[in-house]
Amino acid sequence: MKELKILAILVVIVLIGYWGIEPYAHSVMHGEIKKPDYAYSDLKVSAPTGGDATKGKELFTANCASCHGLKNDGINPGMDKNTAITSFNVVPPDLSNIAAIVDHKFLAAFIKNPQEATKNPKFAMPPMAQLSDEDVANIIAYLSSVAKKDLTGKEIVVEACGRCHSVKYQKIEAETPKDNLKAYLGKIPPDLSVMGKAKELEYLESFINNPQNGLPGTSMPRLGLTKEATEKTVAYLDQIADPHRDQRNRLGIWVLGYLLVMAGLTFAWKKKIWKNVH
Amino acid sequence: MKFIDWLDERLAVRELVKVMLTEYYVPKNINFLWSFGVLVMLVFAILVVSGIFLLMYYKPDAHLAFDSVNKTIMMDVEYGWLFRHTHAVAASIMFLVLYIHMARGIYYGSFKPPREIVWITGYILFVLMSATAFTGYLLPWGQMSYWAAQTITTLFEKIPFIGPDLVVWIRGNYIVEDATLTRFFALHVVFLPLLLIVFTAIHLYAVRIVGSNNEDGERYTKEEKKHGKGIPFWPVFMAKEFFVMSVFLIFFFYLVFYQYKFAMDPINFQPADYLQTPMHIYPEWYFLAFYEVLRGFFFSQNLGLIAFVLSMFIAAFLPWLDKSPIVSGKHRPIYKVLFWIFIADFVFLTILGKLPPTGLYAWLGFVGSLIYFAFFLALPIVSKIEKKKVAGGR
Repeated sequence: MKELKILAILVVIVLIGYWGIEPYAHSVMHGEIKKPDYAYSDLKVSAPTGGDATKGKELFTANCASCHGLKNDGINPGMDKNTAITSFNVVPPDLSNIAAIVDHKFLAAFIKNPQEATKNPKFAMPPMAQLSDEDVANIIAYLSSVAKKDLTGKEIVVEACGRCHSVKYQKIEAETPKDNLKAYLGKIPPDLSVMGKAKELEYLESFINNPQNGLPGTSMPRLGLTKEATEKTVAYLDQIADPHRDQRNRLGIWVLGYLLVMAGLTFAWKKKIWKNVH
Repeated sequence: MKFIDWLDERLAVRELVKVMLTEYYVPKNINFLWSFGVLVMLVFAILVVSGIFLLMYYKPDAHLAFDSVNKTIMMDVEYGWLFRHTHAVAASIMFLVLYIHMARGIYYGSFKPPREIVWITGYILFVLMSATAFTGYLLPWGQMSYWAAQTITTLFEKIPFIGPDLVVWIRGNYIVEDATLTRFFALHVVFLPLLLIVFTAIHLYAVRIVGSNNEDGERYTKEEKKHGKGIPFWPVFMAKEFFVMSVFLIFFFYLVFYQYKFAMDPINFQPADYLQTPMHIYPEWYFLAFYEVLRGFFFSQNLGLIAFVLSMFIAAFLPWLDKSPIVSGKHRPIYKVLFWIFIADFVFLTILGKLPPTGLYAWLGFVGSLIYFAFFLALPIVSKIEKKKVAGGR
């Protein structure tokens, strides 16, 4: 009985200490994580509707294809990669699947004013103010018609993050060379291989949704990913950072089971030995 | 049986077993807190074994260290993650077990005559273990590894005359760099473990001579312990010990498999970058109390540093601070109160140590630091009061 009392005191002290250095300290240091806003409600445009994909393709060729390719429809960018890097310090993305991962309202706002939509005043793409709302809707309709549905987390990470971020352990190398990235963004963006462990998943989701939430002043642009694309990205980052989770959970049960049996046996032995003491 | 006789003739193994185990008596009036010495040994063994496996793939090089840990060991090597989690959790739990072992010694007066050598060697082991943990923490070469090492080594700068040179000597460079990593590696895997083993041997030898303390702080002769007041170390004491160890291992491996995150700071999953200081720098939880004493004297860096060093070593002098004739805290009402205030203060400092040292937290840290020292400074006074009481009462 006395020993149980001592054990209870130990447990209470340890739990108080744990509460202080883990949950409490974290809440003080990091504050609350802002909820992601997938409606992008700060952007004052309405979601595009009823666009015409055929007209969209014409508009795309005239306005976008000088920098952007669209592999899904056999369109090559008018500018080769090296020229693009020298001009912008970053590779313009191929837009094949962009409509599958980026929110369409965001996309409409982005085309008209990339700096505002991404919250990055130095964003490389110039505003396309010459396009009317209808033009934008047509382009987005075209982009949706060619985009591949059901992209995997890995594909999304390559499409959405891979121009600036490497994922070394998955052999994904950032498309843009490091020196250019440094010139464009001020520093080399971190590798994402174990980012799923360096940051809480809830934080990652909020950060991808709006980088200014987590790191005010960061040069990472807001990407406008849809809820589904964001969640797939985070799930992928989590999975590659901790690839042995299933094995760990399975083995843990066996080890703990073994030790429980062991505790039973050692307790029986103790009883037997101590019977003759006193 | 023949082989035993052969061995006994040459190594006197029978006598050794008697002295170390079967005729080494432990008092009967002890509780399971006396198991923590063996638990420390168990955790040390776990650290050595898991450490050897990690050594087979770890690369002590500033360019390779991070990937060798986070890719090779954690992802590519079969069950590499198990050894890393085990090593990290064991390092953390080592200090939990050590602190309980030490607190038991403080409460029941196990540092008092004739056990001063047991206490001092134990304290040296604590300091060595701290150094081992500190050097080991640099090895994964993450952001927190790097900046903790940078911050703590900078402290040596304040030592008069030799300070700045000493810092460069410790780091092997002007900042923490590849040379620092390599030498910390050498200290962590060879020099410090060797010293730990040597001092453990002396510690255990000393305990075999003076015997374990007990709840009432009574002194028993070997004869008394043999006839009723004690139990033989083997098999009686160890029979209970194995049960305690099993229960402890359930807790330990539960942490390894399901709650390992407390022992692996998320910031350390970002590679060391000497151009980018993390927003918050803090040591692992087991150093937080001492770290808070350092920060507690926020108005003077020098004072903070002196207090920090003092806080880490003052407990070594307990046998000379507390000269009360009453051994066990069980029979010392005033001491009991002081002890629990001290424990509460230690937990309080540990929690504060991780919080940003601003505003109210800074002042609380200062007050907490003063209470920490007040415990030790009150001991000579308490001793005097108790001395008088004992002289008058008997």
